[in-house]
Parts: sequence; C-alpha cells; structure tokens
Amino acid sequence: MKGLHIFGLSHAYGDNQVLRDVGLMVPAGELVCLLGPSGCGKSTLLRLAAGLEPLQHGTIVINDTEVANADLFVPPEHRRIGLMFQDYALFPHLSVIDNVTFGLTAMGSKEAHNRAMDMLDQVGMHTHIDKHPHMLSGGQQQRVALARALAPKPELLLLDEPFSGLDTSMRARIREQTLDVLKRSGVATLMVTHDPEEAMFMADRIKVMGDEGRILQAGRPHDIFYHPKHEFVARLFGMMNRLEGVVEKGQINTPFGPINARHIEDGQQVSVLVRPEGIHLTDNSIPGVNVEVLSTHLLGHDSLMRVRRVDDHDGLEFHVRVHNEFDPALIYPINAHVEPEYTFIFPRDGGRVFDQQDRRDMEASDE
Amino acid sequence: MVEMTPSFELQIKALDEDHQVLIDHANRIFDVLENIQDADDGRDCEQLVSEFVKLSKQHFAREEALLKSVDYPDVGQHRDHHRSLYSKMDHLIEFSSAARENPLARESLKKELQYFLLDDVITADMEFKDFINEKEDPSSS
Repeated sequence: MKGLHIFGLSHAYGDNQVLRDVGLMVPAGELVCLLGPSGCGKSTLLRLAAGLEPLQHGTIVINDTEVANADLFVPPEHRRIGLMFQDYALFPHLSVIDNVTFGLTAMGSKEAHNRAMDMLDQVGMHTHIDKHPHMLSGGQQQRVALARALAPKPELLLLDEPFSGLDTSMRARIREQTLDVLKRSGVATLMVTHDPEEAMFMADRIKVMGDEGRILQAGRPHDIFYHPKHEFVARLFGMMNRLEGVVEKGQINTPFGPINARHIEDGQQVSVLVRPEGIHLTDNSIPGVNVEVLSTHLLGHDSLMRVRRVDDHDGLEFHVRVHNEFDPALIYPINAHVEPEYTFIFPRDGGRVFDQQDRRDMEASDE
Repeated sequence: MVEMTPSFELQIKALDEDHQVLIDHANRIFDVLENIQDADDGRDCEQLVSEFVKLSKQHFAREEALLKSVDYPDVGQHRDHHRSLYSKMDHLIEFSSAARENPLARESLKKELQYFLLDDVITADMEFKDFINEKEDPSSS
C-alpha cells in the first residue's frame, strides 16, 4: 500500500508507557489526524514515524518498505518523509527560496530552484522569495515551511501541530489553503493536533488517543462526533452536560424525562452526556420540561445559555446552545427537551459504549 | 484497489485467508463503483456491500472463536472492537444505497471500505499477531 502503515507500536520513557500497541494506516492522498490531549503520546508516535527516536516495539512501513522494526532502523534522511513542526523551524539566516531549496540536494541547482519556485507558487509565497523568515508573518512562515516540507516530493508528510502558532483569524484561512495544497500533492499525511475542530476540518480520518497511549476510536469526523464510543472521546469536543444515573427497566431518569437505555443492563451505573446543542428550547406549544434561563451570552452565530428546571430544587444547571435568533425575553414560559442524537450514555466503569445502531445489529446477529 | 501487501499479513493461515477473501470482495465493489451507470449496477453494488458485511461478521465470529481457543487474554476487548464496527458497517450499506445517484456516496464508500478493511479490521488484528505466532511456534518461547 502506498502511504504509511504502523502496527504493534509500543513505547516507554523509563517506567512511563506512552504508547501501547498502536496501529494505523495513512493511504497516499489521505490525511489522518492523531487527536488527543497533551502528553497522550501522539507527538512520540510522529517522532517514531519520522525516525527521530529509536523504535522499541512494533513495525513502521512506508510505501511497502519497512523502515523500522525490532531489527531495523532506517535513518530519517532515507525515509522520504517531509516534516513540519509547530515552530516551523525555518533557518533564520536563509532567504525564503534558500530555505526551500535547502533539502533538494539530490537535484541540480536549476532543477532545485524550479521545484522550490513551483512549491512557493502553490502556497502563494512566490513573491517573497528574497525575504528572510523574520520579515514574514506567522501565516507566511507556515506556508514557507509547508513548501519546504513538500519540495523534495516526500512519500509521507508528518505535521506536528502545524497551525498552533497562528492567531485565530488567520488559522482558518491557512488550514484551508494547506489542505488544498496537500490534496493536490497526493502525499500521505499524518497530522498531530490537540484541537478537535482542526482535526474535524482537516482529516479524512481521525484517530483519537487517550491518556494511556492507546487509540480509543478511529473514524470519519462524523463518526467521532456523532457516535463517540468512550466518554473521553465525547468530551473532547467541547462543553457537555453530564448527569449520572442508574438504568432501571431499560430507562434512565433525567431532569428532562426518561431516556431510553433498553440495551444496557438494569442496575448499571451510567453517565449521560448531552451536548449543549442537544437541548432544545421552545415555547410551551412543544412538550418538554419547563425551564428558566439564568444567563445568556450571544457568541455570534449562536448563543450559549444556562438554564434550570423551574421546579428543580437541587440547583442542577445546564448549558444550552441555541443556533437561531432565540430571545428568552420574548418567550415565556420556555420548555426544554433533549435530542437523542446529541445524547450519549456511557457505563461509569469507563467501558466502551454501543450506540443504538450497534445495539440493533448486535441483537440481529445474536438471533 | 486494495492489495494484501506483506505488512498486512498476520502469518496466521486461517485469518490471512479470511482477510484475502474480504480484500477480493472489496475489490469487486471498487470495480463496480468505477463503472456504475444504471440501476442494475446500483443493485449490484448494494448486494456486494451487503455480502461484504455478512462476510465480515462471519470473519469476526471465526476470529473470536480462535482467540478464545488459544486463551488470548484480550479476547473480550477485541470482541468489543468488532461490535463497535457494526455502526460503520451500517454506514457502508447506507453509502451503497446512495451510490448510484450520488458521486459523493461513491467516494465515501470507497474511502470507508478501504479504512474499514485495512485499518479497523486487519491492522487491529495485528494486536494479537505476536501472541498467536509465539503460541504456535514452541521454538520462539
């Protein structure tokens, strides 16, 4: 297979096991994101793929050629990889064009110049070739670093938090341009990020890493967001309303009414997570529980509200995200109901959850 | 097209053969997707994907039985992994239903089929490769 294939990868720093039996593949032309919090081992995995650290256990294959296993270590310069770090690591004493031609030692000088110019043109930096890095904005430096990484036509590109140095307003534009360049190049790309939105935007496939150095879930951004299999994965994507309960007669009682949990054993202690956009506020023409709004913050394209059941004396408060122009000063009384597709139930013992779709299939195959 | 390259081999005969059957079947789906034109092609695609899902479930059952027979310690975890793929198999079927009309569904089906097979199924199986090979080869212990 053209691209990257890693399997059985485990790695420790002393007693600290940072990766446990990790496997992944990145086909040519695809972008896979490793998403996880700081310290979960994702950058270690990237460094092992690059050959910046000796492999302890596992196998790394690039374009059908093993580059690292228990008995083999191909050094980074012979792996045909491009690397881009969060600080871009441009040479400060070299001009833009010299930064990009620096690694093109296998080409003649004219060919190297033409290749560098082609790459700088693709990232929109061809008019800045004589400038030095300190004369460029963060976004421009990022684009030069991308051109430099792609100029030698690598078979695998490794990106370590490539947009974290950019301010918010620039980040969205630069990552869209970067994705466009990567897709045109056809290179297999493995990107590390701790930013879920960035992973959702960039990735063909996301691999979520937990803090024990394991991959907890892999899938399309859609799968990861709408069908999280672990509480950890669900909580990565921002604010959550969390309730605890026990399954009784196939249901969990919540302040928003009973939630169906037919496929979880009675007596199982569970956490119920509801995304703020999963609680819908309406006037009382639609059934729901009567709530009062405690605060509201307009964030631009949506509003974040804090609500509480009117008859609740325990002080339980919930966050609600409202996408339309909902003004609580003009609607009274307000009802709330929960959308099942934004609601996730997880066993409290930290186990994996099976969503409704899984359960239907399991029942069918058990019959 | 998907190929069984050496890095995807478990060196466990029964399971490698199963994986090869799945790969061959996936390649037939890719073939149909490349040339899909009319309702008949669409039905072929749906039927092939439905068979692929059935074959995958049979493979999971065989594999779980084998892991149990050799006392693989994480058999429960691997079974859970298989179950967690059921919703992805449903997505494959949904994409196949939409494939005739919708080019995006065809692209999604190709992509997901490749990841499902090579990453979710075969690469995930690499977890027990060493355990079984060591168990079957007394000279390695």
